[in-house]
Amino acid sequence: MSASVPAAAPRALHRVIGVLAALASSLLLLFLAVPIGKLIGAGGVEGIRQLGGDAELRAALVLTALTATAATVLGMLGGTPLAYVLARRDFRGRAVVSALLDLPLLIPHPVAGIALLLLLGRDSALGGALLAAGLRVVGTPLGIVAAMLFVAAPLYISGAREAFARVDPRFEAVARTLGDAPLRAFLRITLPLSRRGLIASAVVMWARAVSEFGAIVVLTYNPKVASVLSYDRFTSFGLREALPVAAVLALIALVPLTALRTLRGADEGAA
Amino acid sequence: MLECRSLSARHGSFELADVSFAVPSGQYGVVIGPAGSGKTTLLETIAGVVPATAGALWLHGADATWLAPEARGVSLVYQHAYLFPHLSVAENIAYGAPTAEVAELVAKRLGADALTGRPVRALSGGERQLVALARAFARRPSVLLLDEPFSALDPRRRTLVRREVRALHREWGLTTLQVTHDFTEAGLLGDVAVLLDSGRALQSGAPEEVFRRPASPYIAEFLGAENVLAGVVRHLEDKSPDWLEGAPAPIAHGNHAIEFTAGPLTVYTIGDFPPGDGYAVIRAEEIVLSLEAPAGSARNRFRGVVSELATLGALTRVTVDAQGVQLVASLTTRSAKELAIAPGMHVTASFKAMAVHLC
Repeated sequence: MSASVPAAAPRALHRVIGVLAALASSLLLLFLAVPIGKLIGAGGVEGIRQLGGDAELRAALVLTALTATAATVLGMLGGTPLAYVLARRDFRGRAVVSALLDLPLLIPHPVAGIALLLLLGRDSALGGALLAAGLRVVGTPLGIVAAMLFVAAPLYISGAREAFARVDPRFEAVARTLGDAPLRAFLRITLPLSRRGLIASAVVMWARAVSEFGAIVVLTYNPKVASVLSYDRFTSFGLREALPVAAVLALIALVPLTALRTLRGADEGAA
Repeated sequence: MLECRSLSARHGSFELADVSFAVPSGQYGVVIGPAGSGKTTLLETIAGVVPATAGALWLHGADATWLAPEARGVSLVYQHAYLFPHLSVAENIAYGAPTAEVAELVAKRLGADALTGRPVRALSGGERQLVALARAFARRPSVLLLDEPFSALDPRRRTLVRREVRALHREWGLTTLQVTHDFTEAGLLGDVAVLLDSGRALQSGAPEEVFRRPASPYIAEFLGAENVLAGVVRHLEDKSPDWLEGAPAPIAHGNHAIEFTAGPLTVYTIGDFPPGDGYAVIRAEEIVLSLEAPAGSARNRFRGVVSELATLGALTRVTVDAQGVQLVASLTTRSAKELAIAPGMHVTASFKAMAVHLC
């Protein structure tokens, strides 16, 4: 009997720790999910109903979707080769490049907007040159795309880098010995094998771009994307008017992510 | 001709250093070496997927050191096959084939045609190796690099595929280099054997030569030589009473009659090994056991006691304690039974002078 006493104490302690951990996890999960659920519950139906009659909301949503798509396409075009190089090549300065890519994720987004304003504003060299070429960035959809690209592209690059890293380079090596030049081996082997990861990263980037506010509001308040419209209505008319816009925005960001996770789950189940 | 001239390469933290050997055109080379010795890195460097850092690689008389992998005419088969999982078996085989007919022919010859209807993910390890071999042959390379390509095949199929690979190699005039752990396979397939260890080529030559005349005691032990004795070499006079009576012929061509002292044993042999410290290697199958001292021509005879007996199917390994030195002999199990060899029994272990290799 006496031998069982020391063993029983740690067992009870383990049980208490387990219960506390489960409680903490559940509370955090509820804290993350309940506000979104309440938002969609309170304003979702009204937001969808308003889509028919609220031209400003419709225009903001279309603008959001188009600019987020444009930013994502640009992110994929520039980010895919960069992610591949980061995943495959060991070069001097790789750590510095990786750190630079993390920077937009770490700085406050209004600060990102100010940084972009310094680069692309009419008083900057680049902004002035673009303006002279007939391209105004600040206060136009181009500014929205720039802001979205800045804050969301690192997410795509990071995901794509992981997707490439998961493909064993020996698949490419075999393809090369079977006659493929590097680009052909990439297109025939690496790209198809990393496709799912790349698509998932693009969806995450798109959803992040859709929900961006801080950098956009500095660069382009008007025309309004959905996040700016939601903020505008909240500050001008209060919660009741902002709720439907916010709920629709949350739905737009959630739907592709949820679809992606459902598809991934189905794939894993089938495998 | 596949020729590595002081070839060096780096793969992660592993370094392949100063590797030199040659496999003449149309011949079959085998690379043997312990795990982690750099065998796969060597093949990858020859294929061009790992860049050389120094030295040169010559393929069919041309410097190929800096050629892109796709321009070398080299096919590489990894041990784990690396079949493309998003393609069908047929698409894998036809991946680098010049025509669909070549792919079909090769698949049929290697027995991979029966697998073409199955998804890659459903194939066993052996079947994957079969498809990977077919894919490599279908490319019609001039040089074929194989990294333990038969390791996952069952014994029956391994024999068949090995025979077919050797036949295709011969018919198509390929130069092949295969990595193997299997010494029997190395002996069966190889025209040239290369022994690799810690990223360095320790010895290369005809397999018989490498197995019979290892360059160091380490190589001898790695290649499974059971009797590696440390001792001292002393040159004898041609007409020494300890040596051949009136038969100087074997002593010609710079060779000497040699007396090798390993503890209490004195072994006689012929060779050009310099006097001083050395090792004597005697393969177990060269040692003959008899109950009485034999009357044959064997120069080295030692009386001893059987200390251990291990039967491995048709072969039996007998360890004889000869004045404290353990000599291992390999004889057929049938012979062992006929002689009724058992631990504690007194026997004579004998071997010819020519069976002793000094290194």
